[in-house]
Amino acid sequence: MATIIEINKEKALEVKNFEFTYAGVDTPSVKKLSMPVAKHNITALIGPSGCGKTTLLRSFNRMHDLYPNNKYNGEIIFKDRNILTSKEDLIKLRIQIGMIFQKPTAFPMSIFDNVAYGLKLQGIKNRTELSGRVEKALKDAAIWNEVKDRLKHDANGLSGGQQQRLCIARAVAVEPEVLLFDEPTSALDPISTAGIEELIVELRERVSIIIVTHNMQQAARVSDYTGFMYLGELIELGKTEDMFVTPKERLTEEYITGKFG
Amino acid sequence: MTHTQKRIIINEIVMALSTLSALIGMGFLFWILSVLIINGIDALSMSIFLNEGAPPGNSDGGLKHALIGQLYLVGYASFFGIPLGVLAGTYLSEYSQKSKVAEIIRDISDIMMSAPSIVIGAFVYAIVVAPSGHFSGWAGTIALSIIMLPIILRTTDDMLQLVPSTLREAAFALGAPKYKVIIQVVYRGAKAGILTGILLGVARVAGETAPLLFTSFNDNFLNTDMSQPMASLTVTMYNYATSPYEDWQQLGWAAAFILSMFILTLNILGRLFLLKKRGKR
Repeated sequence: MATIIEINKEKALEVKNFEFTYAGVDTPSVKKLSMPVAKHNITALIGPSGCGKTTLLRSFNRMHDLYPNNKYNGEIIFKDRNILTSKEDLIKLRIQIGMIFQKPTAFPMSIFDNVAYGLKLQGIKNRTELSGRVEKALKDAAIWNEVKDRLKHDANGLSGGQQQRLCIARAVAVEPEVLLFDEPTSALDPISTAGIEELIVELRERVSIIIVTHNMQQAARVSDYTGFMYLGELIELGKTEDMFVTPKERLTEEYITGKFG
Repeated sequence: MTHTQKRIIINEIVMALSTLSALIGMGFLFWILSVLIINGIDALSMSIFLNEGAPPGNSDGGLKHALIGQLYLVGYASFFGIPLGVLAGTYLSEYSQKSKVAEIIRDISDIMMSAPSIVIGAFVYAIVVAPSGHFSGWAGTIALSIIMLPIILRTTDDMLQLVPSTLREAAFALGAPKYKVIIQVVYRGAKAGILTGILLGVARVAGETAPLLFTSFNDNFLNTDMSQPMASLTVTMYNYATSPYEDWQQLGWAAAFILSMFILTLNILGRLFLLKKRGKR
């Protein structure tokens, strides 16, 4: 029943008949879902609370594996392989598919060490290379000018918006191919939100982006494609400009016009 | 009398009573401290730190044997108790996945924390002292470690659980293996709290007397052989203070003073760490 447009571009990810069931629950939270994710584009996932959009997002980097007995079914194809198999190397996968969380998650260490964290995990020890890549990542995340004189300071001294950009810098530093944003601005003020949105659009040049958002205006502002989810199903996936003007599905129309939500 | 007047009077009475109770409590505390300080400082001298125990009537007796014995006992107890406690707390918080076993360990730890320390002493007497046939420093160390363990275990567990799970997820999302997430991110986030738990645990065992009476016993001379009976400040203080000789009683005061200052310092340090942590938030 769902209306899902064909994407004739290179794909970063492809979801096929995907189902996800949380531990101790019988009904899946994401049901028989299929969708393409275009490379170097921004795909937004919208839908009311509990529709499964965050659950789907957290499946792309197998975050659900941190808690026991969660169950995946179907396929998520990334670089010609299904990443849901048990032989998938989760450490490598998570380096290639990064994630930004709802609340800023600055580690209790200095600004420099935060950004260098992922790089050090990959075994980069050379000081010059580290500082070069930290600087580049901070510039990419548009926060370099604010922090360049206090790289050794505790990252928790930064404002919420700065911390979120620091987290983006930390994720970008390891040069992932896909970045997952889980409501990245819901804990931020409007000005910081605008800054993060601008940044996400710029990042599209280098990474493929999936963003879960509660805010339909945000989806409309930043994304190329939008998927509308409801009760664990993908109701419609289309080009953002079409979705918000001429939705094909009644449910989509009702949601974006505010009839429920 | 109006309703308001009645309320005001009741309020005054309750306030007066609680203030009075607080003052009585504080009064006793300062009384104890001042007696301790006056008598302790009076008894302190350089020779106390330089000389070993001497027979009564001999004016050059000191506490060197007890101070060093105390350091050995508390030092070894910390050497075993701290890593065990921190690792067990880490297991509970990070690895147990909220299992039944973890809940049971938590409950047992809570019970052990309030177990009378003399019972622990008797237990170690039965499993170490009696089979080996004599008191020893090791037996004292084991007793102190057992007392220290649940304190450090529960504080570590609690403090690690205070670290938001999103912080762990963020580290995993960067491709960190679990042990690195724990060591580099979770421990760092809980550093001040764990350190406080350790200090309070050490402070608690440093003041124990009862379990040592059964285990390391005492020695009036310097001994650094852990397989032999060993002096401690607490037991020495008990023996000297209850003796009929005035010079020994003086040494008892000095021991009480040194011990109290040591434990006070540990407690203050522990609180400072917590304060510093709260101040940052």
